[in-house]
Amino acid sequence: MQTRRAQGIEIRAANNEGSAIFRVSEASNRPAPLCRKEGFVVREAAAPSGYAWYLAIGEKARNAIFPAEASIAYLPEVFSHISDGDVVRISPERKSVNVLFQHNARHHAFLLTERCNNYCLMCSQPPRDVNDDHIFHDLMRAIPLVDRATHEIGFTGGEPTLLNDKLIALIRHCQAYLPTTGLHILTNGRAFSDPLFTQRFADIQHHDLMFGIPVYSDLSERHDYVVQADGAFDETIRGILNLKRNGLMVEIRVVVHKQTFDRLPQLARFIARNLTFVDQVVWMGLEMTGFARANLEDLWIDPLDYQPQLVEAVEYLAASRIKTSVYNHQLCITDYRLWSFAKKSISDWKNEYMPECEGCEKRNECAGFFSSAKFRYSNHISPINSMGTGGMRCAPV
Amino acid sequence: MAVEAAIPRQNLQIAFSAGVYDIDAIKLAAYRFADRVSVQIDLIGEDVSCVLTALTSKTDLETIGAHFRNEVIDQDLRKRVAKETESVRNLILSLAFSKTGLQQA
Amino acid sequence: MSKFAALENYQGGRGQRYHLLPLRFTALDADRYVLSNFVGEYYVLPKASAHDFFEHRLSPNSPMYDELKSRHFLMDDDSDVAIDLLALKTRTKYSRLPNFTGLHLFVVTLRCEHSCPYCQVSRQNDDKADFDMSVEYANLSLDLVFRSPSPNLKIEFQGGEPLLNFPLIQHIINEAKRRNEIAKRNLGFVIATTLALISDEILSFCREHHVHISTSLDGPADLHNRNRPRPGSDSYQKAITGIERVRSALGRDQVSAVMTTTSASLNCPIEIIDEYVAREFHGIFLRPLSPYGFAVKTKWFAAYDAQEWLDFYFKGLDYIINLNRQGLHFTEFYAATILAKMLTPFQPGYVDLMSPAGIGIGALVYNYDGSVYASDESRMLAEMGDQTFRLGTVRDSYETLIGSDALLDPIEASFAGSVPMCSTCTFEPYCGSDPVYHHAMQGDFVGHKARSGFCQRNMSIFRGLISRMEADPETRQIFLRWANR
Repeated sequence: MQTRRAQGIEIRAANNEGSAIFRVSEASNRPAPLCRKEGFVVREAAAPSGYAWYLAIGEKARNAIFPAEASIAYLPEVFSHISDGDVVRISPERKSVNVLFQHNARHHAFLLTERCNNYCLMCSQPPRDVNDDHIFHDLMRAIPLVDRATHEIGFTGGEPTLLNDKLIALIRHCQAYLPTTGLHILTNGRAFSDPLFTQRFADIQHHDLMFGIPVYSDLSERHDYVVQADGAFDETIRGILNLKRNGLMVEIRVVVHKQTFDRLPQLARFIARNLTFVDQVVWMGLEMTGFARANLEDLWIDPLDYQPQLVEAVEYLAASRIKTSVYNHQLCITDYRLWSFAKKSISDWKNEYMPECEGCEKRNECAGFFSSAKFRYSNHISPINSMGTGGMRCAPV
Repeated sequence: MAVEAAIPRQNLQIAFSAGVYDIDAIKLAAYRFADRVSVQIDLIGEDVSCVLTALTSKTDLETIGAHFRNEVIDQDLRKRVAKETESVRNLILSLAFSKTGLQQA
Repeated sequence: MSKFAALENYQGGRGQRYHLLPLRFTALDADRYVLSNFVGEYYVLPKASAHDFFEHRLSPNSPMYDELKSRHFLMDDDSDVAIDLLALKTRTKYSRLPNFTGLHLFVVTLRCEHSCPYCQVSRQNDDKADFDMSVEYANLSLDLVFRSPSPNLKIEFQGGEPLLNFPLIQHIINEAKRRNEIAKRNLGFVIATTLALISDEILSFCREHHVHISTSLDGPADLHNRNRPRPGSDSYQKAITGIERVRSALGRDQVSAVMTTTSASLNCPIEIIDEYVAREFHGIFLRPLSPYGFAVKTKWFAAYDAQEWLDFYFKGLDYIINLNRQGLHFTEFYAATILAKMLTPFQPGYVDLMSPAGIGIGALVYNYDGSVYASDESRMLAEMGDQTFRLGTVRDSYETLIGSDALLDPIEASFAGSVPMCSTCTFEPYCGSDPVYHHAMQGDFVGHKARSGFCQRNMSIFRGLISRMEADPETRQIFLRWANR
């Protein structure tokens, strides 16, 4: 029995197995053959027998009696969100406990690597040049444990295509073990400028695979500047063309900030004319985390101030019959012509509301804020009431 | 250098320096104006001489002459632009009609 | 922030000489040029700036530089993906060609009970059955229809008045659907009729087989009746009543209307459009008078010149734009076809504005007497005694008809990419070749475009549409919607 302690975490592993990855259960009647591979969440003093692992969360659970040969992780209250259907990794050596898959989240994103070959001014996951191959291995073990009824999962990073063959292996693994789950991969698309590489993804024949690829301008130099990589625009566009040649789905993502807002209409025109076959285009609000904070001076513009350009761009695409949506924008500072395009897009672990939202009747339809938005958000947040007053709705257009 | 001399009322002569203006440009311009004037083109010394004859009594030769000069300049420019872009045009067309898999229809 | 490079770092290409991409230009008006590339994207700029641009003097700080780069008129060393994109766009514009001949017109009878002076079809009075298509000819025509490679087949019944031979229409529709169980195309049927003879039996059949009705509506009652005399002088009333009957039997969108322009129409574009709005149609096609059939015989065609018609057209177009501004979704269909070429990557495939020409490739006509024509206009020309565009008969093989010199010679000769003026025309991506028109008017397939009413009319319309979009963003938005119908 190995015991590790760190930050209120105490891990007693029954053997020296290295890291353990298992599905979490809270069910009192889980069949025994399954319990032997899973972990049980203990919050009170009682614990059923037969599990490989026990997650004792909080003070009361410290008093529970566990079977002698079980592995146990004593966790502080901050882990109380762990629940049935989650997939957890426990690393006794690193004394860490990670939730790889949170069952009751609305969005599921798996980070594949922190490495990236772009260096976006507003990157919410700043790149680190590290060897993080272990992530791949963890995911290969975790994917078969994910609830197969999950509607959709995402791969993100860093830049997922840097995994090369391993990315293809992961996608195949998803197709095998999650045959009805959609897969959405965020990528800069540059690796797909190689047609042979692209074709290998089509050969997987995943039933529902979409690539989300950022394009920040109709002009190469503006895009290259935002992603801080010379030649990125050309590679990304060629990547998009190759993906569509191979029958793969592509979503174009545009983050709106001070360096991109002025040419949104031109970008919409460019997409409608040159990339008309993309499956959808999403316009996204800025996330105040990572590099965005460091570059705030160059990036911040109050969303209220770019509504004219955003409306023109969205309406252009809609008139051109290209599917388009607006993500991460609060309804009160969004022109009402865009409300039918606005989606509740923020992952729950990031989503919050501000004091100015008090009394707003549109909270349920609004995307709300990233929790990082506390750092900086619009000066014009105000509650919308059922009379239709408040917010931009009555603002002169 | 263009030199104009109005001879009888229904004719207008314009001379274009052969060293400056492409003869094809002049012919293309003449073709375009064929609904309004007939154009007699001759080489006189180092000039290309164009005699414009009105096709109807209502034709305003002065104005047409001015437009004709502009059209020659435009045709000349078109030829230059076409020449400058010829190789990239061929590249684009050969790419367009080679065997690729992307159909937008 | 020293690890982040400034924008200037990525603009190195702007410091160098930029490259021109293939383009054409012409004067839009006295002060401005319009540039176009070979996929129909355009850009308007002042003449002086255009000259700077051509001479490589355009400043990289100019907003025009950005627009020219974005629209693929120039390329600099920062990026060359414009080549791939232009190649792809070119391919898209031509991608419809292999799926040729989607429209098949069956002239099931030449009999008609109207007496329209401008009729482009020689008509006989009601009771001469010699002018009906036979079942044998209909079956042979269907053989040819299904030889076309197009995945979408539209069969349109014309005449005379096609309802005078309704039993044959029923036969053709039933037989086409039977054959389609194997051929598996998208089949559509249209009957072009005055609606004077519509009955419950006919409507019931049309409902069962999803037949669309196309009828004539020239304008308000007095104009329509003047244009379209019939015994009883009640053509307008019959049309209106008929439209409502068809709507309630088949569905409100199952009937469309076509107008014909006569010299009487030229004074009242607004009244004609108001009539269409009142009848709740979604749009109108403001047509020129074509130079075929009785129109020439009765000198209606000579009755107005091109400028008069253009005044009529633009008055109507501007009125329609205003209706749209007021929130009504109402389209001018000719403009919409051109706008699709200007504003979208697609090719609308409208028979009269295609290059290579739409004859044969866009449509084929199977006449009541078993002859096959390259287009509706080709048949009208034949009725005037000119058989130039008659391809053969329904007894000829498909290969003989489609491979005939009568079809291929005019297509080849008139291809806009290789004829004088068109081959270098800035507006060529929006235009088409019309060898039948030029043959009728000037005696050859190509015609001298400086003397061509077709050319003059279309160039005015192209300039008119572009100028209106340059002048007003709301018009641009309205036109974008029309282009993407």
